[in-house]
This record gives sequence, structure tokens and C-alpha cells, in this order.
Amino acid sequence: MRILVSLGVLVTSMAVARGGTLVGKLDLPQTPSAAPPATKGFLDRKENPFAPVRAIDVAHQIVIVVEGDEKPVSPPQVTWELVGESFAHPVVAVPAGAEVIIHNATKAARTLVVKDNPKLIEPGPLNPNGTKSFRATDVGKSYTVGDKDAPHLIGHLVVVNTQFVAYPDESGHFQIDNIPSGAYKLKIWYRDNWLQRPDEAISVAAKGKTEINPKVAASAFATATAKPEK
Amino acid sequence: MFLSKIWFFLVALAAAASATVALVMPRPAQRQVDLEEKNRLGIACSVIDIVLADNARSRVELAGAFARAPKIVNALESASGAATLDEARMKQVRDIAADTMKGVSGKGPDFAMLVDTKGRVVARVALDEGDFGDVVAGRPLVDDALAGYLRDDIWAQNGTMYLVSAAPVVRRDPPVTYVGAIVLGNKITNELAKTVVNGLNVDVGFYLGNDDVAGNRTVALDHAPMLAALAKLKGDDLSVDCRSDQFPMEAGNEDFTGIVGRLPGEAEAHQAFFTVFMQKHAERGFMGTLKAIQKSDVAFGKFPWILVVGAFVVALAIGIALMWIESDRPLKRLQADAVKLAKADSERLSEDAHGGRYGSIARSVNIHIDKLGRDAKSARTNLDQLLGPAPEGSLGTIDLLAGALPTARPGGSAPVSSPPPSDFKFHDPGPAPRTAAPSPAPISAMAAAPSRPAPPVRAATPPRGSQMPPARPPTPVPAAAHNQTQPLHLDDDILAPAEPSIDPYFKQVYDQFHAVKKSCGEPTAGLTYGKFSEKLVKNRDDLIAKTGCREVRFTVYVKDGKAALKATPVKDDA
Repeated sequence: MRILVSLGVLVTSMAVARGGTLVGKLDLPQTPSAAPPATKGFLDRKENPFAPVRAIDVAHQIVIVVEGDEKPVSPPQVTWELVGESFAHPVVAVPAGAEVIIHNATKAARTLVVKDNPKLIEPGPLNPNGTKSFRATDVGKSYTVGDKDAPHLIGHLVVVNTQFVAYPDESGHFQIDNIPSGAYKLKIWYRDNWLQRPDEAISVAAKGKTEINPKVAASAFATATAKPEK
Repeated sequence: MFLSKIWFFLVALAAAASATVALVMPRPAQRQVDLEEKNRLGIACSVIDIVLADNARSRVELAGAFARAPKIVNALESASGAATLDEARMKQVRDIAADTMKGVSGKGPDFAMLVDTKGRVVARVALDEGDFGDVVAGRPLVDDALAGYLRDDIWAQNGTMYLVSAAPVVRRDPPVTYVGAIVLGNKITNELAKTVVNGLNVDVGFYLGNDDVAGNRTVALDHAPMLAALAKLKGDDLSVDCRSDQFPMEAGNEDFTGIVGRLPGEAEAHQAFFTVFMQKHAERGFMGTLKAIQKSDVAFGKFPWILVVGAFVVALAIGIALMWIESDRPLKRLQADAVKLAKADSERLSEDAHGGRYGSIARSVNIHIDKLGRDAKSARTNLDQLLGPAPEGSLGTIDLLAGALPTARPGGSAPVSSPPPSDFKFHDPGPAPRTAAPSPAPISAMAAAPSRPAPPVRAATPPRGSQMPPARPPTPVPAAAHNQTQPLHLDDDILAPAEPSIDPYFKQVYDQFHAVKKSCGEPTAGLTYGKFSEKLVKNRDDLIAKTGCREVRFTVYVKDGKAALKATPVKDDA
């Protein structure tokens, strides 16, 4: 019996491994040249005289989600790294049913709370190199995790019905490996909401790379939070 | 007295108004002091804001200068290109930063933090120097600096606050690129607090929620009112905080007035604020104002002494004048009139000469004099009717009553020549002519009567001791008896059945009277001791009641050939 179960898992893994690779680059609209200040000191901030101010890194707060008809095989755990004064990924997408483990990679203790559901994370400090975990179950549900002692420390989490998610780099490039061939819908999550654009139907080939360059209009950000959160 | 009363009312009103002004005057002054305190606190609060902003400007400029240091630029450019940061790099960059900090003139930063383009801390100087590699990106100050802004902020950590400033580190040689950021921080200390309130004559304290951070003086203020005031501050514009309501605070036995202002930046989320406060001036009040008066305040040149003294003298003079006109002068007149009356220079008080209540007093006295006259007349009539006229030269009786009789009486015409009121004549039941009272003849004169010599006066008066007149009965004589004015027919009265009790004195007088009557050839058949003594008792009582004398002596004498009896009040033992 144990052999049969192991064989089944192996077959499933081989089937997943046989999938193709989805690559692409987000075609983002021109973003504002400067993000509004999250806080203000005694003085207004002023631009330096040597170089133009860097644009907002929109891609850093985007998650590309590829959903198919098949029920996802949820990974047992999704680790969310807390690195200093921010999460490694300020926005994450988690397959439904997965256990989310927040790992404090900093040297300071944090007290994290889920804004919408304070009891979701066990109360108490998250010590350096420690972890706190919870399970995300409701598909479509999003959570905002923060530290009341550090208002700037905020992370967003959305529960999705797939395990195929990607985090684009600063230039918008992304890649998802081992996607089974088939038809999928590509959705884009920005910070705390879905971008307002039609779900993009894509077909992933069984082998090789399937390239897609989703175009995002400026209007897609209409309902998404445009400014950084405090 | 009307004008005096009016004047007294006006003076009392002026005194009350003066007292009211004296009690109320400190209040506007206190309000002014409070307003000045409020203004001073508000201005001081705004000045502190300005000083802190100016301090922030200096720190931002220092951060910009720090970020332009070539060694810093090169070190961070190198670090940003590295996949990982190691300790050797950290120490190298830290030394560079430390050397740069040493070159800062004046009060340099308390710490420095060098960050690469990924937001990683490459090195720290002076604070947590051994820590590196952690990501500080995410903090608004660092994010803004990495994006290319110079700015300031306030960080709250480990129970204290830091005034921080940051600047992007830019490689200015082409291609111009961002290579990191520099963060400088200054701890908020007592020295900083003293600096920001220097010359403002107020105190300041910096707080993180319920925790004291720093202050220019050591005072344990009650945090509750500060936090309550902080909770009322709303809105993003922190510059209006200094115009908020001030509130009282306590620290031990000291009272303070304070105003709070929120501190901006990251620390605002930690309830960071500063409180500008000053010791509350005690409310002076009336006594406090009096105590605060200085000698120079009442100097002749500053205080209108002439006006005050002049007003006092005028008020006093008017009051005295009115009292003299309305009280002293009429009283003096009445007094003089009364003296005249006492000296018998006048028979009555002049009613027309006295106005108001003094006239009323004069009228009342006159009415009583008239009443006394009528009563005396009635008493005299009774005795005259009973005993006949008093002898000439008898003492006391005439002076006592006749002199007070007015010439004209409200009750009727006075006798042309009034006999002594105490004289009463014993006459026959027939109509006796009521002419001028004859001068009573002494007993010695009576002795010259043709029938038989009259007994000497002394003999006619019963001796003292056991023969003194009987004592006054305890019960007063009824008023009706006093006012009796109808002629009394003694013979009719005394012919009634005799009294069984016999008073020795009255018996002696009776015997003398009976003897003289017989000697004058008058009938004595109906004369009984009972009726005789009854009359004597009644007249004695009347005289005692009217004159207040101690006793009454009766003298038997002959008048117009008939026996008469005179009653003499005895004032004292002499």
C-alpha cells in the first residue's frame, strides 16, 4: 500500500515536471515619477540636485496569477520572509489551503497582526529568526499583515485557487516553471486588489517556453491603491 | 433727616461700588495674565517648531554633504553591486563613515547608517556598529532617500527618539546613478531640549506616549492631561497644534499650564509629542493684589491723592452739614425749649418752632402736659370739694402742679387763677362758688379766728413715726378715679355708714378737722370718720400717682370762716 501511494505521488510529480514554462514581461503604463511621501518630517522632502527621482517600483507590488481548470496541488507551506523593515515580497499570493509561515529574518522582534482578522496569527512577538504561521483557506480572500509598532511594515496576501504565481522583477519580467499544458487565465494582483482588466486567456505548451506580455492600462489601477500605504 | 439718609445711601452706594471695583479689578488683570501666558506658550510652541524645523534643515544639509563625500559614494557603489555583504566590507565602509563624521564641525550626528541601493545596511557608525546586512528599505525616510529625496524624520526606538535625516548617495560621474543612501541621526536629549527653549522662558518636554524622553528641566508632570490634550489633536497639519487649547498640569505641589504639539514622522505613530509648559501664576485676587502693591504705586506722582482726599473731605463735609441741619440743630432747639420748660420759663414746648419729628415730640410732650394739668385740676377739685382751700404759704403743692398748668387747655378753659392743684376744699353740699383759689391760711393765722385759736401748723400736721400718713396701698388707683372732674359732695359721701377700721393718722386729721369745723360753727352731724378717711385715702393716692411723692400730709386750716384741708406731697424725708 505504501508503495502504491509513493508511486502515485511520483507519477503526479512527473506529470507536473513535464509542464511548460510561462515567461513574459509586463507592459506597464508610465508610472508617476514620485511616490507621495508616506510620512513627513519637519520639512518637506526635496529632490536631490544630481539625478532625477526614481519612479515608483510598481512591479515590486504585483503578483501574476495563472489559474486553470484543474484543482491545484497546494504546496504544504509558503514561507514569507520578513527582511528588516519590510517583507521580501510586499505582496504574496498563496494557494488555498496552504500554510503561510512568516519568518523573521531581522534582528528585531516584531509583533505582527492581520488587520482584517487579528486572531489569525497567534498573538505575541515574532522574535528574530522565529516564525509565525497560519493557514489561508478562503479563495479570493486577502489579508493585510502589519506591525503596530512599525506602521511602514505592511504586507498583503491574497488566497488564490492555483499554485502558479509569479513575482515580476523591477523591469516587469516574470517566469513560471512547470505549468502543465493547457488553457489558463492570467490575472494580476496589485497590492490589495485585482487590476481592473479582462482575464487574459493563455495556452501553455507542453514543452518549451510560452511567452506572453500582458499589457496593463493605466485605468487598470483605478481601484487599486495608488499610493503607498502608511 | 431725609437728606442725611439720601447722603448716607449715596455714600454707602459709593463704598459698595468701590468695594465691588476693588474685588473685580484683579479679575481682568488675571485674565490678562492668563491671556499673556497663553500667548507666550503658543508663541513658544511655534518658536520651538521653527527651531526644530531649522534644526532639521541643518541636519538634512549635513546628510547631503555627507552623501557627497567621494569615499562614501565609492564605498556604497561597490556594496550595491555585491550580492552579499560581509564584515570586512562593513568595517571598511564604517571607517570611512566614521572619518567623515569626525570632519563635521560643531555638534555632529549621534549615528550614521549607510544603505545600498537594495536597502541593505552596509555599515553603522556609533550605534549598533556590529549590525549590518539588514534591510531598512520600507522605512519612509530610507525609501525616499533611495528614490532620490533629501528629507528628515523622527524615529522612535528603544524608548527614545532620534531626529534623523537622509540623503541619496549619487554617483555624479556619468553614468549618473543612485548607489545608496546615508542616514544621520541625533538623539533627542535634555541638552537639545534646553537649546530649543533657550530664551523663551518656558519649559519643554519630549514624550513617547506615556514615557518621558527628554526635557530641559527635571519635573515629573502628570501625563494624563497631556495625553488627553494629545488625543484631541486631529488632522495632518501639525502646525496648528500650537494654537490648541492649553490645559493645567500638576507636578507635586506645583501647578503648570501646558500645550502639546505632535511630533511628525514615524514617531507620530508612537504618540510622540512635545509639551511646552510654564509654571502657572497663582491667581492674585484682591488680597494678592494688595500684597503686590509696591511703594511706588502709591507715590504722590502716580496716585491721585488730591482727588481721593478731596472726595473724602467733600463727602465728610456734606455728611456733617446735613446732620447738623437735619439733626443737631433741631435737637438743640428742642433741648433749649425743654430747658425753658423745665425752668418754667414756658408752660409748653413750642410746636411751630420744631419741624418734623421734633415737632411731633413737642406735640406729644404738650399733650401729656395738658393731661397732667387736667388730672391735677380734677384732684384739686376733689380736695377743694372735700376740704376747702389750702392755707397760705403752704410749701410744695402749688409749685408742684399749678405752675405746669397751661393758660389755655384743649379740654376747656382754665381757671382764671388756678388754686394749688393739691388744694381741696371741704365745703357744704350747696353750690360753692368756684372763684380764684384763696391763698391758704396757715394754722397760726387760723388761730386768730374769732371763735378759738387755730392749732399751730406743726400741731395740725400729724407727727412722724407712728403718726405718719399710712403707706400707699399696693393696688394702683383706677384711672377713672384720677380723671374724675365732677364736684364731690363730701357731706353726702361721708354721711354714709362709718368704716369699721380706724387709721391713727387719718383719725388724728379727722379729729382736728372735726374740731376746727365745730369751732367755726359748722354742722358736724353727718361727718363720719369712715367717709372722711376714704376721701383722704383717695386723694392721697391720686397725689402719689401724679407727683410720685413718697407720702402726703394733710393740714387742717380755716378759710373764709370754714374748716378746710390741704394735702401736701412729701417728696423725701427732709
